[in-house]
Amino acid sequence: MKNSIKNLSVFVCICTVMTLLLALTNTVTAPIILENQNASANKALLEVMPDGTGFEAVALEDYTLPATVTEAYRETSGLGYVVKLATAGYGPDMVIMCGVDSSGVVTGAVCLSSNETLSKEKTYGENFINKDAAAIDAVDTIGGATKTTAAYKNAVKDALNTAIILGGGSVDVRTEEQILADNLAAALPQGEGEFEKTFLVEELENIDAVYYAENESGYVFVIGEQYVGALADGTVLTEDVENADAITDAAALIQSTVIEEIDITAYPDLTKTVVSAKKTETGNYIVETKGAGYGIKGGNEYHPASGEYIIVRVSMTADGKIIDCLTVSEAETDGLGDACASESFYGQFVGKTEENYTEIDAISGATMTTDGYKQAIERAFAAVKTLSGGEA
Amino acid sequence: MKNNNSLSVLTNGILKENPVLVLVLGTCPTLATTTTVSGAIGMGLAALVVLLCSNIFISLLRKIIPETMRIPCYIVIIAGFVTVVKMLVQAFFPGLYEVLGVYLDLITVNCIILGRAEMFANKNTVVVSALDGIGMGLGFTLALGAMATVREVFGAASFAGIAIPLLEEYKIEFLTKAPGGLLVYGLLIALVYALTKGCAPVKKSFSCSGCANASTCRMGECANREKEGNN
Amino acid sequence: MEELRLLIVILLSAVFVDNYVLCRFLGICPFLGVSKKLNQSVGMGVAVTLVMLIATAVTWPIQCYVLDTLGLGYLQNILFILIIATLVQMLEMLLKKLSPSLYKGLGVYLPLITTNCAVLGVTINNIIDGYSFVESMVSSLGCGLGFLLAMVLFSGIRSRINEANIPTPFRGLAVTLIAASFISLAFMGFGGIIENIFA
Repeated sequence: MKNSIKNLSVFVCICTVMTLLLALTNTVTAPIILENQNASANKALLEVMPDGTGFEAVALEDYTLPATVTEAYRETSGLGYVVKLATAGYGPDMVIMCGVDSSGVVTGAVCLSSNETLSKEKTYGENFINKDAAAIDAVDTIGGATKTTAAYKNAVKDALNTAIILGGGSVDVRTEEQILADNLAAALPQGEGEFEKTFLVEELENIDAVYYAENESGYVFVIGEQYVGALADGTVLTEDVENADAITDAAALIQSTVIEEIDITAYPDLTKTVVSAKKTETGNYIVETKGAGYGIKGGNEYHPASGEYIIVRVSMTADGKIIDCLTVSEAETDGLGDACASESFYGQFVGKTEENYTEIDAISGATMTTDGYKQAIERAFAAVKTLSGGEA
Repeated sequence: MKNNNSLSVLTNGILKENPVLVLVLGTCPTLATTTTVSGAIGMGLAALVVLLCSNIFISLLRKIIPETMRIPCYIVIIAGFVTVVKMLVQAFFPGLYEVLGVYLDLITVNCIILGRAEMFANKNTVVVSALDGIGMGLGFTLALGAMATVREVFGAASFAGIAIPLLEEYKIEFLTKAPGGLLVYGLLIALVYALTKGCAPVKKSFSCSGCANASTCRMGECANREKEGNN
Repeated sequence: MEELRLLIVILLSAVFVDNYVLCRFLGICPFLGVSKKLNQSVGMGVAVTLVMLIATAVTWPIQCYVLDTLGLGYLQNILFILIIATLVQMLEMLLKKLSPSLYKGLGVYLPLITTNCAVLGVTINNIIDGYSFVESMVSSLGCGLGFLLAMVLFSGIRSRINEANIPTPFRGLAVTLIAASFISLAFMGFGGIIENIFA
């Protein structure tokens, strides 16, 4: 018994001595370790703001910032801000760190992690150094990586906006979709925020686009920068509209349009190129045509066998002027050719005729998709010619 | 075991009883930290410091530490010095700390240190124990360095972080990965055997004396138990 | 659901991708030492799994509620290894008393576990990785099972090695290590699979 007490006390003594030794070492090393950790945390920040001396994290919840911002740091001597952003390029989750000085100029940008296929985004940030908000769009794109480039540029723009907001200024941080949604909702509150773009089948003078409320309460007409709301019965809600009568007429025209299906089997020339064709009471045609694009499967040159077509819906006057255009389906490469399904591409065909429809901006990096699309449009012109000629 | 010729105690650890290549102790850090030469040397030196301190301390207290409580005492002493070294490395060599990570903590259970405490330090005087610690530590460091040199030079075409341009095209990246470590270790042991023509007591298998666990399982009992286990 | 998925990923990663023995080199000594026979391998593997689970169950709360709250993080190493040593001793005594037959099977390997770096490694790694208690337990289970799997696989290979005609310098440990290298190579094939299956 006495022996084991003695043994135990020796053990306890050794434990105490070691603990004291540890506590002593800890008091010496703890501040140095903390300093090291801070220094290494700041290292990434220094990379995008080389002149920075110290950084402190900004509480994001105090500000309304772009949705992509995940972290923000204020340079303690007032040089500017470092913003960390998460955005989606070709793959998901591209993390970008961007430094912005107090005058709104980028001091550095790096891509911390990404799933991009080309990995050129790793050094792409260097191109933004010393650029301000106005110069961002002019920065060279990454060849063959349109989406990545766009995401990167938007992230840098978001970082610049964040710096302005954190500096006390105010910036519209809404995305284009949000701005559109807000404008539509303001023009027609009855629509309850649910709008869809109308595929036009009649020529509407001066009107750029029409959106209909999904609850069928009315329409919003886009005329230049102006958004004009009109109820289903044609009552124009927006004040200060120059030709309210024209709007009322347009609303009536859209609703009264009678569309008649055309049996394309009666036209043996068209069955291979045209999916469907319709005609309005007013003599306009709506045709859906096929074009052979790049095809997503196997990278074959054409895919008539597998049926991988670009299908385009075109409305057109009988004399061959495109009223509206829409991509119904496509099977093009993600991140490149699939841009043909975006309005910024197919919107270019509106108002074009057979003479000038080829004068559009091609999708960069997707020549075959662009050619396939033009082929579909060309077939639409041919179809309308046949259909209208057949009737005459 | 007892050798009071200080020089031979020192060289024993480096050559004849090299802990890694001959006694085959401390295999875990040997394999895990030898992807880069700097990491391996850092690990070796950290272990050397712990080994030296624990050997001195245990040798000093060898008359005080009660026989029955010796293993817990050794463990506390070793774990204490490991933490001290870990904190110092973290404070003054943060880069190395990042490379070694959890393996620094695991020096605590490095067979070599507990093994030397049990087999040497508690039977010898302070000076000889210190020499033994240095010798064993150096042997460990050198073996780690040698293995890391093979792995880094041929696996990553660099030496201690300095790129070797000639080998850039021919690097065998496999060597820097886990299987490469095992392979190089196996080949080195075979090489040492071939060079010494079997004079060095390469363990044909793990027996009690080669196993650092021997210290915790009260010498010899381990072998008996293993026999029991076979039944 | 998301949590369950994470737990499965942790478990399978610990068994296959980050296998403690073959990829992280923890617990190599018993892996090489006690894998000569299948029954030994299973006994050692089960004993290690058991100790890992109990050790994690004890060390995690101590780290979180005692060391972290008191700012005594530097005692982690000493405390953990003492806890493991004590647990192993207690488990050994308990087994001896309660189930002599189980003791005969497992007890033999228990004393060897104290200095098994895989056990200390898994307890410390759980803290470093910032796992919650449940995640830590799952990770420990995975590591133990991974160890068991590696031991069982390797014992099969070793029985073949014994029958092979090997050049003298390679006999014994050298060829064992090279064989281990090939299993490790096979395990590298699991890299990235687990995350992708459940992505």
